[in-house]
Amino acid sequence: MNLIHRLREMRQNRFGAFVPVLLALAAIWVYFGLAVPLYEHWTNPDSESVRFIFLSARNIYNLFMQSAVIATLAVGITIVLLLGDIDLSAAATAGVCAALLGVLVLAGVPGWVACLMVMFVGIVMGAAQGMLVAYVGIPSFVVTLAGLLGYQGLMQKILPTGNLNVGDPFVRSIARILIPDLWGLAIAGLVVVAMVAVVLRRQAQRREKNLETDSALAVFPQVALFGILVFAVVLTLNSYRSLPLMILLLVALTSLVGWVTTSTPFGRAIFAVGGNPESARRVGIDVKRIRVAAFGIVGLLAAIGGIFGASRFGSVSYTAFAGGTLLLESIGAAVIGGTSLFGGRGSVWNAILGALVIGSLGNGLDLSGASAADKLMFSGGILILAVAIDALSRAETGGTGR
Amino acid sequence: MSSEERGAEREVPPPHLWVRGVHKRFGGVHALDGVDFEVACGEVMALVGDNGAGKSTLMKVLAGAHLADAGEFWMDGKQITINSPHDATNLGIQIVYQDLALCENLSVSANLSLGAEPVKQGWGFLPRFLRPIDELDMERKAKSAIDSLEVRTLHSMRALVGTLSGGQRQAIAIARAVGTKSSVVMLDEPTAALGVAQTRQVLGVVKRLRETNHAVVYISHNMRDIFEISDRICVLRHGAHVGTWRTNETKPDEIVIAMTHGIDEKVN
Ligand SMILES: Nc1ncnc2c1ncn2[C@@H]1O[C@H](COP(=O)(O)OP(=O)(O)O)[C@@H](O)[C@H]1O
Ligand SMILES: [Mg+2]
Repeated sequence: MNLIHRLREMRQNRFGAFVPVLLALAAIWVYFGLAVPLYEHWTNPDSESVRFIFLSARNIYNLFMQSAVIATLAVGITIVLLLGDIDLSAAATAGVCAALLGVLVLAGVPGWVACLMVMFVGIVMGAAQGMLVAYVGIPSFVVTLAGLLGYQGLMQKILPTGNLNVGDPFVRSIARILIPDLWGLAIAGLVVVAMVAVVLRRQAQRREKNLETDSALAVFPQVALFGILVFAVVLTLNSYRSLPLMILLLVALTSLVGWVTTSTPFGRAIFAVGGNPESARRVGIDVKRIRVAAFGIVGLLAAIGGIFGASRFGSVSYTAFAGGTLLLESIGAAVIGGTSLFGGRGSVWNAILGALVIGSLGNGLDLSGASAADKLMFSGGILILAVAIDALSRAETGGTGR
Repeated sequence: MSSEERGAEREVPPPHLWVRGVHKRFGGVHALDGVDFEVACGEVMALVGDNGAGKSTLMKVLAGAHLADAGEFWMDGKQITINSPHDATNLGIQIVYQDLALCENLSVSANLSLGAEPVKQGWGFLPRFLRPIDELDMERKAKSAIDSLEVRTLHSMRALVGTLSGGQRQAIAIARAVGTKSSVVMLDEPTAALGVAQTRQVLGVVKRLRETNHAVVYISHNMRDIFEISDRICVLRHGAHVGTWRTNETKPDEIVIAMTHGIDEKVN
């Protein structure tokens, strides 16, 4: 009871919402990174030294690249979860967009034009579903389930063979370009300095305007932790190869979407609709348009996820997108990140962490030779745990009558 | 009793909002059957009556949420029309509904500015809904709205509404109604779900509204609260106006009898 209470309080503040998913990530990394190798070393008399494969720079690099597509979709799905809706069709949308991209570049359309075109198509595919939800009043679960089926079929129509190589240099370069080591460090430095500057300036302004200030003790450990994480990631990636452009793009995209959701009237309206649609309606927010826009954003991010995937694999296949596990992994990532299925609470940054949890779990189980069946069962367990935390931490603060 | 002292020195001022012969039917139900009603600035007018007497309906008509079938509406001596919530807002008439309609997942300041967030200067190249919210300005406004109602238990404008008590939420809903320019504030059973301490807090807020020269309409079933807070009491019964009493010239028994049986004599 006490634990649940603490959990609830923790989720009330923005930083505290990160704690459960960070702990989950740490637990998975400690298990696969330290516990498994040490256990294997001690139980196997032939092994001469401990082999830390999971925590090697090379594996972490791969882990990030593997999780990037999941994360892109999860960021989008987070937006509709904030509204209290769900999108089951994001992975299928990504598949259609990736297939279309492959066909377009094969037909000789320049890579960057093809990318813009499929991003537009993604928005239309998402917004169309949003209109069915908002204006026709069909629950999003049903609309996007129909979308999932329809778009899977559409992808098969576009790719009758189920597979297509994408050799376009522009498309391939997204996943291939590496940021030089020094540039990577410079970017990390800039990000941390900017964050510190923003925090200090805000504190000064608050003091000046006589508003409540955050205690330095609460703020600076957060900033320090953030800085350490940023540098740790860049240094690790540098020690294997370098910071990939795709990861940088993903972070930039997430920052933009995160900023829109937390700092603009549009984002505030999304949270308001998710928290209490009646309240949003009474203050004059156009709830229907917000819904359509949110589904459009999911479509856009799904298309970008499709581009990332095509770029990384150098090919588009039915199983990698629409027909595979991407759908469940991306929804799982958003939910494991701590975004509430009940709407109105969550963050796109949590979705990135959730994607890392899902990615790490798959990667770690692969390394320790677990079967696909084990992977599915573990993922299911983690998902239930995340949703249970969500439900428990909501139980008493809720009562919005949803 | 303090209400008696107050009544002794207070003359009832001329009405600010004034309605005559309001009718409202819902199918076969005659919810309002020619109601007369008035409220003055700097006055708390209690609106009482049995369940189904038409109190909420009268408020909703005044707030533009329901369209009256007939009736005259006057404000400061000029005839007005209230055909939509928008009309009511423009006239400065605000209602705090029984369900407060707050977003529990948002902060106090976000709730108070919801739908009309102040945005920062210098982002004119973006459409308004994508410009950064001026959080500090929003908090400052929230703070002054809450301070002007003297809600002393509410310290942080950044606290999520979901973490607050019933009385504090009621105060926030009132602050939101008052924050947009308002001269008439109508409260529908604001203390119905509250305990003793929380009720005191809300009554304090209502007194502040009177001190700031608002015309306050206060619906309640609690005679003690009504006799403590109101200047006049208007009784409805079966959708009709039974009478209006000055609070210091009547007794709870008389009001209860008027509510349940109607009455022969009235003041004003
Ligand atoms: N939207 C509505 N549709 C139909 N009947 C209504 C509606 N609102 C109120 N009524 C009826 O009008 C009468 C007055 O209701 P109301 O104003 O809510 O009473 P009070 O608030 O005094 O308890 C009741 O008989 C009620 O059933
Ligand atoms: Mg009522």
